[in-house]
Amino acid sequence: MDIRVLQASDLPLIQHANLENLPENYFLKYYLYHALSWPQLSYVAVDVSRPQKTPYDYPKIVGYVLAKMEEEPADGIPHGHITSLSVMRTHRRLGIAEKLMRQSQLAMVESFGAHYVSLHVRVSNQAAIHLYRDTLGFKNEKTEAKYYADGEDAFCMKLELESIREQIRDEREAEKEKDGGK
Amino acid sequence: TTGDVEEDVPATAAKSAEDRKAAAALAALDDTPRGDEEVKNVDQEAARKAMNKLGGGAKQGEAKKDLKRVKVDAGDVTLLVDQLELTKTKATELLKQHDGDVVKAMRAFIAPRF
Amino acid sequence: MPQPLSTREANLFRQVIRNYEDKQYKRGLKAAEQILKKTPRHGDTMAMKALILNAQGKTDEAFALGKEALTVDMRSHICWHVYGLLYRTHKNFEEAIKAYKFALRLEPESPQIQRDLAILQIQMRDYQGYVQSRHAMLQAKPQLRQSWTGLAIAHHLAGELQEAENILTTYQDTLKNAPSKTDLENSEAVMYRNMIIAETGDTQRALEHLESDAKDNLDRLAVMERRAEYLSKLGRKDEAATAYRALLDRNSEHPQYYYDLIKALGIEEDAKAKKAIFDEYADKYARCDAARRIPLDFLSGDEFREAARRYLTLMLNKAVPSTFANLKHLYSDSFKKETLPALAEAYLESEDGKKVQGKAAALYFLAQHYNYHLSRDLTKAMEYCEKAIELEPKSVDFAMTKARIYKHHGNVKKASEAMDYARSLDIKDRYINSKAAKYQLRNNENEKALKTMGLFTRADTVGGPLVDLLDMQCVWFLTEDGEAHARRGNTGLALKRFHQIWNIFDIWQEDQFDFHSFSLRKGLIRAYVDMIRWEDRLREHPFYSRAALDAVKLYVSMYDASGAGLANGVNGSASGAAADGGADVAAEKKAAKKAKKEAQKAEREAAEKAAKQDPNKAAAAQKGKGEEPAAKKDDDPEGKKLAQTKDPLDDVMKFLTPLLQFSPKNIEAQFAGFEVFLRRRKYVLALGCLNAAHALDAEHPKVHLHALRLRHALDAETLGGLPAPVQAVIKADFAAAAPPPGA
Repeated sequence: MDIRVLQASDLPLIQHANLENLPENYFLKYYLYHALSWPQLSYVAVDVSRPQKTPYDYPKIVGYVLAKMEEEPADGIPHGHITSLSVMRTHRRLGIAEKLMRQSQLAMVESFGAHYVSLHVRVSNQAAIHLYRDTLGFKNEKTEAKYYADGEDAFCMKLELESIREQIRDEREAEKEKDGGK
Repeated sequence: TTGDVEEDVPATAAKSAEDRKAAAALAALDDTPRGDEEVKNVDQEAARKAMNKLGGGAKQGEAKKDLKRVKVDAGDVTLLVDQLELTKTKATELLKQHDGDVVKAMRAFIAPRF
Repeated sequence: MPQPLSTREANLFRQVIRNYEDKQYKRGLKAAEQILKKTPRHGDTMAMKALILNAQGKTDEAFALGKEALTVDMRSHICWHVYGLLYRTHKNFEEAIKAYKFALRLEPESPQIQRDLAILQIQMRDYQGYVQSRHAMLQAKPQLRQSWTGLAIAHHLAGELQEAENILTTYQDTLKNAPSKTDLENSEAVMYRNMIIAETGDTQRALEHLESDAKDNLDRLAVMERRAEYLSKLGRKDEAATAYRALLDRNSEHPQYYYDLIKALGIEEDAKAKKAIFDEYADKYARCDAARRIPLDFLSGDEFREAARRYLTLMLNKAVPSTFANLKHLYSDSFKKETLPALAEAYLESEDGKKVQGKAAALYFLAQHYNYHLSRDLTKAMEYCEKAIELEPKSVDFAMTKARIYKHHGNVKKASEAMDYARSLDIKDRYINSKAAKYQLRNNENEKALKTMGLFTRADTVGGPLVDLLDMQCVWFLTEDGEAHARRGNTGLALKRFHQIWNIFDIWQEDQFDFHSFSLRKGLIRAYVDMIRWEDRLREHPFYSRAALDAVKLYVSMYDASGAGLANGVNGSASGAAADGGADVAAEKKAAKKAKKEAQKAEREAAEKAAKQDPNKAAAAQKGKGEEPAAKKDDDPEGKKLAQTKDPLDDVMKFLTPLLQFSPKNIEAQFAGFEVFLRRRKYVLALGCLNAAHALDAEHPKVHLHALRLRHALDAETLGGLPAPVQAVIKADFAAAAPPPGA
């Protein structure tokens, strides 16, 4: 298993993973739009141990996070948004989703100056809510009624990225001191 | 299954709001900005001068010009079109690349390219 | 000559253009009609009307009118420009480029024409043409950064790295003050220039540039990765090692960082030292998987056994379902193949193995072990699987494995039932739902599978689940569905699916179109170049080659079944492809008829269901997109026309040509090419495929078989009847795979 930033050539298999796992699907072009607008923010988990059948086999994507920056934030504060996240059920309990999210969040702050990250989740999806709230520290902001196509409500969740911002500030300071000391 | 949770993570994104966002984002991709974007930080005069120094547009490949001089037999072109299922342009080009030698051209064309 | 317009009409004409740009097509048409009422032969207005009709989806009408407009006014750049746009809609890109060039000659200053031409040139990969266009665009607007970047990209893609770098440097020198640190476009421009320098092979200069210009770059990960890479290439090993350590602290699940660190430390051959590195990170990051698993790849003997025992214990205690999947690649080593199941058995005897979760996980591991092709014993696999299920009857994973075991038994029916049972254990999970549908398709249950899929497709899609799956480009389903139809002898629907997949790839290729200008505007160039390079080899994807191979097989069997192949003696008993498809035509037709009826019924039901749920949905969706046209109605939804083709050997080329072009190293592609060319009597091309297959795998039994078939087809009479140069090629090149005919 390999966690790395998304490349254009991953897209057909990301779309495949999404179609296999989740009911909310998108055209390939929408993935392309993410890859070309915020290339630093989306990550994949790849199964690198599968033997190749032909020289053209692509590594199998077993998990991905598709993320973006909110283009016109209503509150005027730059922030990220998770468009889609999923991990194949055959590859759970390895902490893949958490690891994908942490990479993406770091890049949101570094490259785009994000202050927080938001997402929607089905109110019935206990497992996902557990991950977001308990493992990653998201807070539930509000409930959006009938957000999903089948009429289910969504929790609108939010995570402040202040600790990452602070960590980066500290690192920069330390570097400057080091440079200045030379 | 309890305790199975750590990360059954199907997430997010949906119909109404999200779908509209996706559709809008894709529709706006090819928007052409009307009028020029803001130009603040460029020394316009310097830019113009620098550009003039760049010289002309594309260079034509040298090799291509040489190929023009190679004479090819029309019958050979027809044969390549038929045998290799190529367009006339491609067949002519292939033939020229092999000095008009039709056997050489065919052999080169089918040689494994890896 | 163009007819002159009155002031009022000239104003109306400007309004038509504005309406078109704002996608207010109805208003635009109205205004155009007003002009044409007074001045019926006004070329530019006719052209604009054609453009609007085209945008409304009336492409044929638009094209006719566009042509007429041009005959009315040959000197109008608008007419030529529109003509080009219409050709582009019809995907005749070469003609479109020609028309744009005409338009540009008439109106050299038009930025729109220049832009449309440039985009089409890069879309068609006419690099030299694109360089010229970009050059002209820079001339027109040298004050814009994107004019410079655009020309640099053109040179870069054309392989002219020095030119590309020169242009970026020149532009940078014109900047008055240093851009701010948060300027994303500038940050990206620095990294793009660095990428070009690195591609010239001058690593030293790339490093210097990175260290001087990219210190505060916003793409921190890229800077760290490039720096480590350059240091490593330059042999500055200590610094490279430090750089890779920094990357591992950022992401310890990226195996390449470990490999690169080990290389920088010069300990590739020292298993003990390597193990120490991985142990260090395993200690540092308690939840890191890579540092614990990778040593299993290179350890051997007792060291392997001990490391594997610890890893397996950890994974089984946590009941990680992918444990076997993450280890099975070790089975190419027979010692490891013996050791791993022994460790799992030992675990069952241990303290941990007595707890329910651990015990079930170990049994599950062993079930998968005996189900794997390198260690297969299906009876044992089932025993372990049943024991695991006994412990956790509600486990979807265990039930899924049971279905897989049936599949490997060759019992597709039982496999389908078992997977559907697994689905019933968690009806909210689309993953297991997808698997159940896949197994139903393997059992030729197309209609049932579509129903299963329909549990998760959007209920409001007009046309039912199939339309949703098509819209969402669900390639795997279309492929499996097509293959099942092909097995059932339902040629039309099978061909239909393969063509639908072909079309999806066409859309994916077309998808890049908007990004040629979008990415330049955003200034994110490296990701754009990455996309261009990927799109260049789009159809090498196994999604394409699988469907293309399926289509070739089907078309070849159609040709053979028509009797044409037999009559000409190319379809001897040796032809594998022919034997699969041509058998028992009557029975197949009957099955096909039944399948079709069932499919129609399913579709009707789905449509009714959709209509009941929300009759306004379709209209509403349409509204959301402005006045855009409805998608063209499919006039051959069941592939009847496809199946009635007079010339399957001609139709098949659409699939075969890209297959051979993009996957030449796939031996099955070469075999497919051989089957087709032999039947087309293109012996030189058939020989080419044969020789390529021979070069890929000289020992493959089909290589010898096909050599014999080709020799058989080229008997003395046939060979003698071929043109002399063809005979010469065959004599010269046949030797590689088999003795030449007549030798």
